[in-house]
Amino acid sequence: MTRFILGRLIKAGFILLAILIFNFLLIHAAPGDPAAVMAGEAGAADEKFLADLRERFGLDQPLYIQLWTYLQGAVQLDLGFSYRQQMPVAELIADRLPATLLLTGVAFLLSLSLGVLAGVAASARQGSWGDTIISTLALLFYATPLFWVALMAALVFSVWLGWLPGFGYSTVGAGYTGWAHALDVAKHLVLPATTLGLFFTAIYMRMTRASMLEVSRLDFVKTARAKGVKRRVILRRHILRNALLPVITLAGLQAGQIFGGAILTETVFAWPGIGRLMFEAINQRDYAVILGVFYISGAMVLLFNLITDVFYVIIDPRIRLTG
Amino acid sequence: MLRELKFAIAATVASFVLVGPMAAQDGTPQQGGTLNVVIQPEPPGLMVGLIQNGPTQMVAGDIYESLLRYDANLQPTGQLAESWEISEDGKTYTFKLRKGVVFHDGKPFTSADVKFSMDKFLRESHSRMRTYMQHVESIETPDDHTVVFNLKQPFGPFIGIFEPGTAPMIPKHIYEGTDFANNPANNTPIGTGPFKFDEWVKGSYIHLVKNPDYYMEGKPHVDEVYYHVIPDAASRAVAYETGKVDVLPGGSIENFDVPRIRDMENTCITDKGWEYFGPLSWLWINLNNKPLDDVKVRQAMMHALDREFAKDALWNGLGKVATGPLSSSTRFYSDSTPDISYDPEKAKKLLSESSYNGETIRLLGLPYGETWQRWAEAVKQNLTEIGIKVEIVPSDVAGWNQKVSDRDFDLAFTYLYQYGDPALGVSRTYMSTNAKVGSPWNNVANYQNPEVDKMFDEAALMASPDDRAAAYKTIQDQIVSDVPNLWLLELGFPTIYRCNIKNPVNTAFGVNDGFRDVWIEKAK
Amino acid sequence: MKDFWTRFRFNRGAVIGLVILAVVIATAIAAPFIFPTSPWKMVQRPFLPPLTQNGLPLGTDALGRDVLAGLAHGAYVSLLVGLVSTVVALAIGVPVGALAGYFVGRVDDALMRFTEFFQTIPSFALAIVLLAIFQPSLTFVIIAIAIVSWPPVARLVRGEVLSLRTREFVEAATLQGLGNAQIILRHILPNALPPIIVLASLMVAQAILLESSLSFLGLGDPNIMSWGYMIGAARTVIRTAWWLSFLPGMAILLTVLALNLIGEGLNDALNPRLTRKSE
Repeated sequence: MTRFILGRLIKAGFILLAILIFNFLLIHAAPGDPAAVMAGEAGAADEKFLADLRERFGLDQPLYIQLWTYLQGAVQLDLGFSYRQQMPVAELIADRLPATLLLTGVAFLLSLSLGVLAGVAASARQGSWGDTIISTLALLFYATPLFWVALMAALVFSVWLGWLPGFGYSTVGAGYTGWAHALDVAKHLVLPATTLGLFFTAIYMRMTRASMLEVSRLDFVKTARAKGVKRRVILRRHILRNALLPVITLAGLQAGQIFGGAILTETVFAWPGIGRLMFEAINQRDYAVILGVFYISGAMVLLFNLITDVFYVIIDPRIRLTG
Repeated sequence: MLRELKFAIAATVASFVLVGPMAAQDGTPQQGGTLNVVIQPEPPGLMVGLIQNGPTQMVAGDIYESLLRYDANLQPTGQLAESWEISEDGKTYTFKLRKGVVFHDGKPFTSADVKFSMDKFLRESHSRMRTYMQHVESIETPDDHTVVFNLKQPFGPFIGIFEPGTAPMIPKHIYEGTDFANNPANNTPIGTGPFKFDEWVKGSYIHLVKNPDYYMEGKPHVDEVYYHVIPDAASRAVAYETGKVDVLPGGSIENFDVPRIRDMENTCITDKGWEYFGPLSWLWINLNNKPLDDVKVRQAMMHALDREFAKDALWNGLGKVATGPLSSSTRFYSDSTPDISYDPEKAKKLLSESSYNGETIRLLGLPYGETWQRWAEAVKQNLTEIGIKVEIVPSDVAGWNQKVSDRDFDLAFTYLYQYGDPALGVSRTYMSTNAKVGSPWNNVANYQNPEVDKMFDEAALMASPDDRAAAYKTIQDQIVSDVPNLWLLELGFPTIYRCNIKNPVNTAFGVNDGFRDVWIEKAK
Repeated sequence: MKDFWTRFRFNRGAVIGLVILAVVIATAIAAPFIFPTSPWKMVQRPFLPPLTQNGLPLGTDALGRDVLAGLAHGAYVSLLVGLVSTVVALAIGVPVGALAGYFVGRVDDALMRFTEFFQTIPSFALAIVLLAIFQPSLTFVIIAIAIVSWPPVARLVRGEVLSLRTREFVEAATLQGLGNAQIILRHILPNALPPIIVLASLMVAQAILLESSLSFLGLGDPNIMSWGYMIGAARTVIRTAWWLSFLPGMAILLTVLALNLIGEGLNDALNPRLTRKSE
C-alpha cells in the first residue's frame, strides 16, 4: 500500500510539472502582458514606464529563463509573486481558498448525499411515479445551464422574494463576529451552493440509479433473495455497497474538477473564491496567479484520484492496487 | 418609427434632473460621521507618484496634495500654495507656499519637498510629468516657502498641472536617496492631505482617518473614509441599495443600472467633477489601411454614427455628443467646427463617391464591460446600414492594448483624458511626431498633417491665452475636416451619492480631489 | 435498422426529444427566411416587454433588437457549435483511444498519460485560457470546446478496442494478413460504434452548454448572436427585464434536454444489453 501510494505520488509530481510547463507556455502565448495591462489601467504610459515595469517583474528576461525561475520556485512550493496584487501568490490563494472550499465542499456533500438518496429511492421502486418524477427532475437539472439557474435563483429568491442575499460572501461592512458572522455567511451560501450542487445531484442520482439496477440483476443478489434475506438488508448490504463504486470514482474525479465549475457560480454570485481569482488573473495576465491556481487545482485532482483509489480498496477488498 | 423611438427615449431622459455641485451656501457644515465609498477596481498601490490609475488617484486625492486646486472652469485656486505669479513673458512661475503645513508624520512641508517631488521623484517615475518637466529649465528655492520654476520657453498649460494626480507633493525626508519603486514607505503613504492612511485589508477595504493636524480650520469634516472593494458591478449596486456604501463614483455600476439606483430615495446624481479629465471617446481609424486612407470613407462613417442614440440608450442621456477632438470642458474648445452630425443619407452618398469596395472593416471593442460591448454592436449596426461590412474583434484588456499598440485593427474604441489643456491631452494623439508604433495612447491613427503639427507646436508655447485660443480654433477646424478619428461622446460618468452627503463633488476633479470639504447632514 | 427504430421508439422520452430537436433544427434552418434582417438590427425602443407590440412577440433587448429573431438565429449557432466541436473532439479522441487500445504497451501508456494530463487540468478553466490566447471567434470557440472534451472519447474507445482486439474475428483478420490500419478501421471501429454514437449525442449537449457558458462570460464570438451571449448581455438588467435572460435560458434547456433524451433512446436502441427501462 505504501509503495503504491509513493509510486502514484511520484507520477503525480511529473504530471503536475507537465501541467505547469504546458500552462506557462500557453499563457505566455496570449497577447499582451501584465505591464501592458497595468499601463492600460493607468490610461497613459510612455515606453520607459513599461520598460521599468517589465524589468521589475522580470518580464524582460528570455522566456526559458522565466520558466526556469518559476519552476525552481514551484518545486519548493514557492508560487511566486502577483504583479497586479503586489502579494505573494500563495498568500493570495490562501486568502481565497476557504471561500471556494466552503462553497464547493457544501455543494459537493449536498449533491452527493442528495443524489445517492434519490438514486436509491428511484431504483427501489423502478417504474413507479416516484421514479419517474425523480428521473425527470434529474434529467432537467442535468440539461440546465448552471449560470442560468444561478441567475434565475438570484432573481426569484433574492430580488423578488427577498429571502436570501443574492450576491457576495457576507454583508459588506456589517462587522458581524462569531455566530452572527457564521449565520450571515451561511445565508449567503445557500443560493450558490444549491445551484452549484444541482447539476452534480443530477449526475449522482442518475449514476446511482443505473448502478443499483445493474447490480441488483447480478447473481449474488439473486442468491441472497433466494435465500430469503430481507429486502431492506439486500438493498443496503449487497446492492448499495457494490453500486456505490462507480459513484465514488466519479465523485473523486469531480471533487478535483469542482474548481473549474465554480468559476461560473462565483461569477454570478460574486463569491470571492479561487475561480474568480483565476478568471480575473487571466484577464490581467497575472501569470503567477494563473499558474498557481492550475498548480493547486491540478494537485487537488491528483490527490482526489489517489484518495478514490485507496477508498476503493477499503470498500471492496477484492480490488488490487497496481502502480 | 425611428423618430418615435427617439422621442420615447428622450422623454425618459428628460425626467432625470441633474444636481449640480453644491456650493458652500448649502447650510453650515456638521462635523463627524463616516464616509463609505466604492472603489473599483482595487488599486495596485496608493503611492500616486508611482502609479496613476484611476482608483489610486481617487484614494491618493485624500492623502496627497499639490500646490493648487481647480474649480469646474479649471481656474486655479490655492492649496499648498497661498499665492502664485506668472511673469509677463510666461517663463517664470513663482509660488508662495502656505506656512505651518506638516506631513502626516509631523515633519514640516517646505519648498525643498516641492523641488524634490517635481525635479527628482516625478521626473523619474511619472510618465506624464516627465514630458511636462521637459519645459522646465530649473527650480529655485530662495527660502523655505518660495518656489520658482524657470521655464525654457513659455508653456501655457504649466499652470494646469499642479493637482495631486499629476504633481503630488512627496516627502523628501522619506524618499531621498532611496529606490522609489521599492521603498517600504509606499505601503503607508504619507502626504499633507486631509486624511491619513490607516489600514488596507486587501480585497476588502482601505481605511483613512481624519488628519487632526490639517492646516485648514475645521476641515476635514468627516472622521473617517472607507473605500470598499466590491469586485462585481451588480454587488456594488446592491451595496448602495442596502446602505453599505453611500457614494458610487463614476463607473462603479453598469450604466444599465443607473436609472434604477438614481430613482431611489435620498439619492443625488451628478456628472460634474470630470471637467479636468474631459474624457472623450472616439474610434481610432487606422489610416495606414485601405480604404480608410480615403477621407470620403471616413466622412461617410462619421455621418453614419447615431451618437445621440448611443448617449440615450447606453449612457442614460449623460454626457455630450462630441463635436471634434476637444472636450467642451477643455480650454480653447471651439463649438463652431465643421458639422459631423448623424445623417445616414449623406453618409450613403459619401460612401458611394468613395473608394470603398465592400472590404470588411475590423472593429476592436473596448473590453470595459457591457456598455462598451453594446456600443460596439450599435456602431457595427450603424455602419452596416450604410453598406459597410464590419466585423467586431473581441479582446480583453491585455489583448486590446497589444492590438492597438501594434496597429492591428481598422477601427478601435478608446477614450482618453484631456487634462484641461489641448497641449497636455490632445496634441499627443494628433501630432505626427507622436505616431510611433508601440503605444496605445499616442497618435495611434498615424494622422500626418504637417500644418497641424506646426500649429500644435506653436500654440503650446504662446504666452498669450488669446493667441492660443485663435490657434486652437484653426487646429480644430482642420482636424475635423480631415476626420482622422470618429469622435463619439464626451463621456458623462455619474457620481451617485446620498443627498445628505454635501459637497462630494466641488472641483474639476470630483471625487478624485479628496473629501476635504465633504460633510454629512445628520437626519433631523 | 427497423429493429433499431422499434427499440428507439419504445423510449417515450427519446421520441419527445426527437420532436423538440426537430423543431430546433427547423428553426435554425428557417431563421434566415423568417427573419431575413440581421438579429442585430435595432428595430424598436429598447426593453420592450414580450406580448406588447405586434410583430415583436418576445419584445426587444437593451438596444431595441428583436428577441425572437435573436433566439431563432441563436438556434443555428448552438447546433453548429455543438455538432462541429463534437466532430472535432471525436477526430482527436477516436484515433488516440483506438491506437492506445490496439497497440497496448508503451503506446497505450504514452497516449493515456497524455489523456490523463488533459483530464487533470480543470476543463472549463482551460477553455477560458485557450480563448484568452486565441481571442474568441467562432472557429476558436469550437476548437477550445473540442480540446477540452475529447479525453472521455479516448478513454471510451480505448476500453472498447481493448475488449474487441482479442475477439475471434480480429484474430481471423490478422491471420488473413490484413494490416493494422485495415483491422482497426474495418473490423474494430465499426463494432465500437454504438457506444461512441451514444456518447457523441451527449457530447453535443455538453458542447452547447459549454458554448453558452463561455459566451455568458463574454468569451464568445461577438459577431454571432448566440443564446449564451443573450443571457450574458441581459444579466445586468435582470431586475428590470428578466425575460431577456429567461427566454434564451429556456431555449438552451430544451435543446440540451432533447439531446439527452435522444442519447438515452440511442443507448436503449443500440446497446440493448446495457440498460432497458422495461425490465
